[in-house]
Amino acid sequence: MNPNKITVRDLNFYYGKFHALKGINLDIPEKKVTAFIGPSGCGKSTLLRTFNRMFELYPEQRAEGQIVLDGENLLTSRQNVALIRAKVGMVFQKPTPFPMSIYDNIAFGVKLFESLNATDMDERVEWALRKAALWNEVKDKLTQSGAGLSGGQQQRLCIARGIAVLPEVLLLDEPCSALDPISTAKIEELIAELKNDYTVVIVTHNMQQAARCSDYTAYMYLGNLVEFGATEQMFFKPQRKETEDYITGRFG
Amino acid sequence: MSDKHLSTQFDSELNQVSARVMELGGLVEAQIRQAIAALSQFSLEAAAQVEAIERRVNQMEVEIDHELTTIIARRQPTARDLRLLMAFSKATANLERMGDEATRMARMVRSIIESGAVRTLPSNDLRVAADLASGLLRKALDAFARLDTRAALAILKEDDLIDREFDGFVRKLITYMMEDPRTISASLDLLFLAKAIERIGDHSKNVAELIIYLVEGKDVRHTALQDIESFVQ
Repeated sequence: MNPNKITVRDLNFYYGKFHALKGINLDIPEKKVTAFIGPSGCGKSTLLRTFNRMFELYPEQRAEGQIVLDGENLLTSRQNVALIRAKVGMVFQKPTPFPMSIYDNIAFGVKLFESLNATDMDERVEWALRKAALWNEVKDKLTQSGAGLSGGQQQRLCIARGIAVLPEVLLLDEPCSALDPISTAKIEELIAELKNDYTVVIVTHNMQQAARCSDYTAYMYLGNLVEFGATEQMFFKPQRKETEDYITGRFG
Repeated sequence: MSDKHLSTQFDSELNQVSARVMELGGLVEAQIRQAIAALSQFSLEAAAQVEAIERRVNQMEVEIDHELTTIIARRQPTARDLRLLMAFSKATANLERMGDEATRMARMVRSIIESGAVRTLPSNDLRVAADLASGLLRKALDAFARLDTRAALAILKEDDLIDREFDGFVRKLITYMMEDPRTISASLDLLFLAKAIERIGDHSKNVAELIIYLVEGKDVRHTALQDIESFVQ
């Protein structure tokens, strides 16, 4: 197993009085793809959103415990939350391109953290779009609006935007649920490519997607982490009956 | 498989293919019984029965494989469903091979009858081994239906017994051939018969290994018996 990029210890999370994550302990290996699966409301997206303190946007939500990234507890860190999010990027279920050109969609985030000259910025934009397997499709229309792209292209644009600021961790929250099978396959190819450089954590409802593109899988239910293990093992012979019931479609 | 899927259609597909595999098992069992009858009574009629069943066995193997690929294509089974379908596929192949061995036995019996060397050779000794092998298949099918890993383990041990019977029988045949070279031709037929019986035992053993694979998720082929014992509950 690779060294751990993120270490979660005794993590509890509350939406007001609702206890949404119950004492989660989990190690996310570096430069691997880890998938969170489980039925709706099990806490998998909630867990993902704690990794870049996305929940802080809402005053009634709070997290207790430790989420250690590179030796520092993110929950008590005094680091600027924007810096944390540059380090831990996120892509959402619905593609969310900014209402600006394709080029600016990528450059916007980079400008917040770095002052690059025009040539370097051009290079960075091209690099990010190439990494996201989108360059060939958009290189001739960089000045056009990102909203004009197809759903799959928009999602890859969001991934390009996420990696343009050179993060270390990429969080993907149901990145393919709004996409057709071809766009989904492209994103999955991209995920396989990205793990050479990044630690990827993906939340998915599509069990087969978790089976296809992750190295490790965590099964969650009712705010508990039921089982965590190598994906191959989880889909062949999970340790716990609850996991096997869910994975084989016996959940009811 | 006791628990139900959310998809009742999936359950009924699994139940159906499961019933078909068991039906194939029953058919092969009958085929082996007929082969034993052909051997012990030197009956051409029983030998013909074996060959008639063979055609149905072959047909069923093809049909079961088709059902299995359809389920895999439509359902993308995982975990114990995946192991179950893998086990069905391999069990089917093993059962069909047992049928082939039974057919081989029938052909040998026919050849011995035609050579006229029937009474002078120890063909009765073969019955013991043949009954053992046939009983082993029945136990393997029972254990498969009940997902009984302890019974599977017992089958692995019992197969060793058949292997020892086979070795003893070969030594006996050699004595016969040395005493009277005119028996060599029929002795060789008996040797092939014995080999077929021994192979039937091996295939039952393979089926028993599949039960452990299915229940425990461990591939125990080419594994020493005491190692298998350590994790079968």
